[in-house]
Amino acid sequence: MTDNTTATERTLELTSRGPAAAGRRPDEVVIGLSPGFGDLFTKTIVDVPHAEVLRQLLAGVEEQGVHARVVRFPGSSDLAVIGHGAARLSGSGIGIGVLSRGTTMIHQKDLPKLSSLELFPQAPLMDLEVFRSVGRNAARYAKGESPEPVPSRNDYMARPRWQAKAALLHIRETGLVRPGAAPEELTALIRLAAAS
Amino acid sequence: MTLVVGVDIGNSTTEACVAEVDADGREISWLAGALGATSGVKGTTENVSGVADVVRRALAAAGRDPAELAVLLVNEATPVISGLAMDTITETIITESTMIGHNPRTPGGGGLGVGVTVALADLPGRDPAEPVICLVGAGADFDDAAVGINSAVAAGIQVTGAVVCADDANLIANRLHTPIPVVDEVSLIDRIPLGMLAAVEVARPGHTIRTLSNSYGIATVFGLDPDQTRMVAPVARALVGNRSAVVIRTPTGDITDRRIPAGRLTLIGATARRTVEISAGAEEIMAALRRVQPLADATGEAGTHVGGMLARVHDTMSDLTATPADAVRIQDVLAVDTVAPQPVTGALAGESALANAVALAAMVRTSRGPMELLAARLREALGLDVLIGGVEADMAVLGALTTPGTDRPIAILDLGGGSTDAAVAGHGDEVRSVHLAGAGDLVTRLIDAELGLGNVDLAEEIKKYPLAKAESFFHLRMEDGTVRFRTDPLPVDAFARVVVLADTGVHPIPTRHTIERIRQVRRAAKHRVFVVNARRALEMVSPGGNLRQLGFVVVLGGSALDFEIPDMISEAVAEFGIVCGTGNIRGREGPRNAVATGLVARHAATAHVARDPAPTAGV
Repeated sequence: MTDNTTATERTLELTSRGPAAAGRRPDEVVIGLSPGFGDLFTKTIVDVPHAEVLRQLLAGVEEQGVHARVVRFPGSSDLAVIGHGAARLSGSGIGIGVLSRGTTMIHQKDLPKLSSLELFPQAPLMDLEVFRSVGRNAARYAKGESPEPVPSRNDYMARPRWQAKAALLHIRETGLVRPGAAPEELTALIRLAAAS
Repeated sequence: MTLVVGVDIGNSTTEACVAEVDADGREISWLAGALGATSGVKGTTENVSGVADVVRRALAAAGRDPAELAVLLVNEATPVISGLAMDTITETIITESTMIGHNPRTPGGGGLGVGVTVALADLPGRDPAEPVICLVGAGADFDDAAVGINSAVAAGIQVTGAVVCADDANLIANRLHTPIPVVDEVSLIDRIPLGMLAAVEVARPGHTIRTLSNSYGIATVFGLDPDQTRMVAPVARALVGNRSAVVIRTPTGDITDRRIPAGRLTLIGATARRTVEISAGAEEIMAALRRVQPLADATGEAGTHVGGMLARVHDTMSDLTATPADAVRIQDVLAVDTVAPQPVTGALAGESALANAVALAAMVRTSRGPMELLAARLREALGLDVLIGGVEADMAVLGALTTPGTDRPIAILDLGGGSTDAAVAGHGDEVRSVHLAGAGDLVTRLIDAELGLGNVDLAEEIKKYPLAKAESFFHLRMEDGTVRFRTDPLPVDAFARVVVLADTGVHPIPTRHTIERIRQVRRAAKHRVFVVNARRALEMVSPGGNLRQLGFVVVLGGSALDFEIPDMISEAVAEFGIVCGTGNIRGREGPRNAVATGLVARHAATAHVARDPAPTAGV
């Protein structure tokens, strides 16, 4: 059994389908993306491709038999705004917010904006396994189950080592913000790269 | 008028009762009661600070000055302490990767597939005539796996099922052109032998598997003869109730339910001695105990589990009471059958099975506590007259009689943390009492073990408070099915969880157990300890062992404050036609403060006799 996950490159194509409306399906999770996700940026702070980030989040949701929608929030680069906004658009009240650099949270519509169900504040520690677990747990919350929170990692060196890069990425992402712009419904197409 | 205070030093709480007694002791006016934690082991000088604190608070509650206090009464603490031990007596062993019987949360597809086990990478080029089961190893991507299986099927290979290492079953099943059953989360997939005949079954949603949980189903699938079918019967039994399963036919594979040699328990009575196998279970142990009553001591076979359990009890007791371990005598044991989730030896997917276990509570009689020394220290610390008065059981009966609606003959049932005590008083002065092992602490341990919590504090809360499920941040569904709405949101960590509604807030229970299961475990634990002990205790103290001779039964003690134990006991003794209920000491203290109240009542009565020595007939 050979491991061929890293060998295959996948590309992400996000196309807008117009303003995102609030969902009515109780079995959906909304994945909220920051302004530059899969657009100006294509990788997280530790070079995890955005195509794989979104693919694992979607896979985690799908494995639980739950439906996922992808929505971009061009109006903010604040994770709390994106995560809470996604939760409020979600028919189940559960949303995932993810920033281009990889910082992620699971939110619920009734919670205060600055709170969250699960928060993954250290972007450099986010790998594909964690993104899959985030998708899985969000879907399980949507089903009314009680998942074990994804084990949160902590690296005391992450802050000194990555803070400068994170700040630069945040400034660039914030530069893309169009204040007051409405969330957009996206179609996500993830394909194997043409020539492999 | 003199101001007196009665103090009861218990295993876990110290209680005080302040009252004013008039000169001839005929009139008692009850003023206030207070409750605090016992400092140190009861009956030792460490208790002084706890007593001083409770007395101070009782006086404050009564609005009286400590200087007015004339006498402090303490009971003669019953020198009994209890200990606990628990050990598993069975284990499940799977040899040679015979089966995978776990319940992944999300198996994929549905139905039954039978074939030879083949790794994903080896699928191309297989003989189309031979059905195969595809094994998708660690690290394989779900898209690649689905593509691999689809192209194999397109090439004419009969892929009838798949076993996956990661949590990918639905992802793969959703991408297949031909639906097959897929079992996932098999962490040790590398241990599955290749080239062996295997069967994969996934039940429809809401159903459980039908073929692999049936011995003849397995026999049909693998074409077994009667002897081989006899061999697979335990496999089928182990898979009953699962949503998905994999059975692999290996030449010598087997699954067994092994009993761990738990050892023998020797019960030494006053006139007889009996030896009983621990693995025989609680019922046999308790039957043997009844035959040797009264118990003088109990020992376990050295080098076995039970030997270890009793050694632990002896050691703890000798530490607590500062007596040599061989001088500690076990006066009562309560054995309770329980189950504890244990990992299955040889399992491929981290399966666990409920192993049988036996919990033993033991009651130890210690040498008389240094009460005189304690009284002297109290005299120093508080600067007042301290009287040691009365046996605990007698005082509890006197206190219980202050419950409205009671009369002699009366029986009390004191449900504490470490022990269950009972006493009976007829019309005379004689009081018969017993102290039995097993009470609240044992219930907590049973809940902790059976739910696999590993958190005694949480188990304690589950014991004491009702459960609810947090269905949203603003509403809770209670265990009785009713819904409670809230104006302020629940804490984030309680979302969608089963929670305990403790006094200190809503506390989540971090397990996969349903609310029904937790409730059932909680009630069963209480039943096996308190109902069993209540009947045992009342049989031992009632005249001729006949419960019908008892008039009134008053339930007292900390565990009587529980929200369901008193009802369970009332129900259990209802058939004997006894009036049974939770005490309400002095009409206002509930089941607390009985001994402290009894001390004051006895003090007043003796004062009365002393002043008026000959109450002659005809007065």
